[in-house]
Amino acid sequence: MTGTVSNSTSPAGMPKPTPQPNAPAPRRRFFEFKKDIPASWSVILGIAVWACFFGLWEFAVWQQWANAILLPGPGKVLGALYTMFADNGFLSDVLISVWRVLFSFGLACAVAIPLGILMGTFRTVEAFFSPFVSAWRYLPAPSFIPLLLMWFGAGDTQKLALLFIGVIWFLITLISDHVKAVPADLIRTSVTLGGSRWQVLRTVVVPASLPNITIAMRQMLAVSWTYLVIAEITAADAGIGAVMMRAKRFLHVDEIMAGILVIGVLGLLFDFLLRQVYRFAFPYLEGQN
Amino acid sequence: MPLDDVILTATNVSKTFGKKNKTVEALREVSFSVARNELCILLGPSGCGKSTLLNIVAGLEDPTGGGVCLEGKRIHGPSRERGMVFQSYTSFPWLTVFENVEYGMKLNGVPKDERKERAEKFIDLVHLTRFRDAYPKTLSGGMKQRVAIARTLANEPDILLMDEPFGALDAETRWHMQEMLLEIVETTHTTILLVTHDIQEAIFLADKIVFLSANPGRLKTVLELDFKKGKDLKSKEDLIALPGYLECEREITALMRAEAGKSKDDY
Repeated sequence: MTGTVSNSTSPAGMPKPTPQPNAPAPRRRFFEFKKDIPASWSVILGIAVWACFFGLWEFAVWQQWANAILLPGPGKVLGALYTMFADNGFLSDVLISVWRVLFSFGLACAVAIPLGILMGTFRTVEAFFSPFVSAWRYLPAPSFIPLLLMWFGAGDTQKLALLFIGVIWFLITLISDHVKAVPADLIRTSVTLGGSRWQVLRTVVVPASLPNITIAMRQMLAVSWTYLVIAEITAADAGIGAVMMRAKRFLHVDEIMAGILVIGVLGLLFDFLLRQVYRFAFPYLEGQN
Repeated sequence: MPLDDVILTATNVSKTFGKKNKTVEALREVSFSVARNELCILLGPSGCGKSTLLNIVAGLEDPTGGGVCLEGKRIHGPSRERGMVFQSYTSFPWLTVFENVEYGMKLNGVPKDERKERAEKFIDLVHLTRFRDAYPKTLSGGMKQRVAIARTLANEPDILLMDEPFGALDAETRWHMQEMLLEIVETTHTTILLVTHDIQEAIFLADKIVFLSANPGRLKTVLELDFKKGKDLKSKEDLIALPGYLECEREITALMRAEAGKSKDDY
């Protein structure tokens, strides 16, 4: 030290505030702006909302707010669910529905992922496909049902086609947007290291956009389930939707509700599975999402 | 300087952006050269087109006039001979430090054993040995930049291009990085062309400063830092203690000020 810079830390005579050794923990308030809550609170509150829902439902049934045929209680719905699986072969209907969703969604991905990547990477490919894809996106898929019924009848093909049309355009758009968001400097890094066009595509564009592509797939898979139900309640002799429509004919509201429950559970299950895929496929992102 | 020692020459490089009646002239007939094993700095006020010039040398942009030659050959497009380190963090998040450094060599078909050897050598050189298998997410900004430097050097470019590589780092990290860069130059004798607007950084690192003026970017002057010649600078303090340093900083600050003065209210 040459002494030209005076040292001005710790002014004399300023006592440090002494921490209180046995200060009581601050009271936790229930309503607090943007404060994290303990994990146990999250679990309890999460259970509570369902308890409220089922409680209200039971209460409504008990009070006979609606006709008992139109509003069966939760217990009756669970009972119907058991009978459907145990005696009515509901499992095969569930499997048919799952197969329809997965098969059509797989086809949609097989087209949308490569096309979306190319559209997001090359402006020329985008300029060619984008006007087409954008236009189709605004045509509601269910409006094709009459046409598809005439072309393919009421069989599987019609349902697969509807599900395919329902998700493909959005999937392409989402994926190409994610690919476009790949930082330009990553691509420039690769080309200044000697990367050819194909190498940049394979070693930068694809791995950089894959996590977001997986998220887009998760979102669109949920939409696919929506179209499945639409397809199956319009015309079908098998599948969850078909079972629900048959139940309607016989006023089996409990079976309809059981069907809704199954669709909900399946949706959650697939969402969970894709989230696990995301976690295992992209460990380097851990803690970012 | 003997002619055969020149590795890179830019001749009358001009660049105009936009088309028809809405054009911006970024560079006007800029010429300069870089000698082998030289650390050349492109310095100038913001808006002088120094990053554009570097992009043109990298082949990421085409000049609208003039051209750049590397080893006497006219450059067309980007190539591994002109590896670039960017200001933004460009380490690939899905690759570990080792895989990142190995990446360029993989593109160019370097055999596995040699890749491993070279990658490890350059990871050691940038002091990241302990982080060999870490993902970039766990690294600090300075470390990510070191990964980028090691990755580019391991690819053995003829010239290393750096676009404000330490611009996003805090002051202290920046010193360390600058000192490390000089250390690297000493061991690898890499030719470097580095863009910065930081005067002290320029003086500390440069063998030669190419100073550009703004609006449009033109060559103002080339400064050979004679007061540093033959001195072994290890740290910033060494530099500041060197006779001639203050004069040099004053001279460049005046140049910068004269440029900024042209558009006084535009900061």
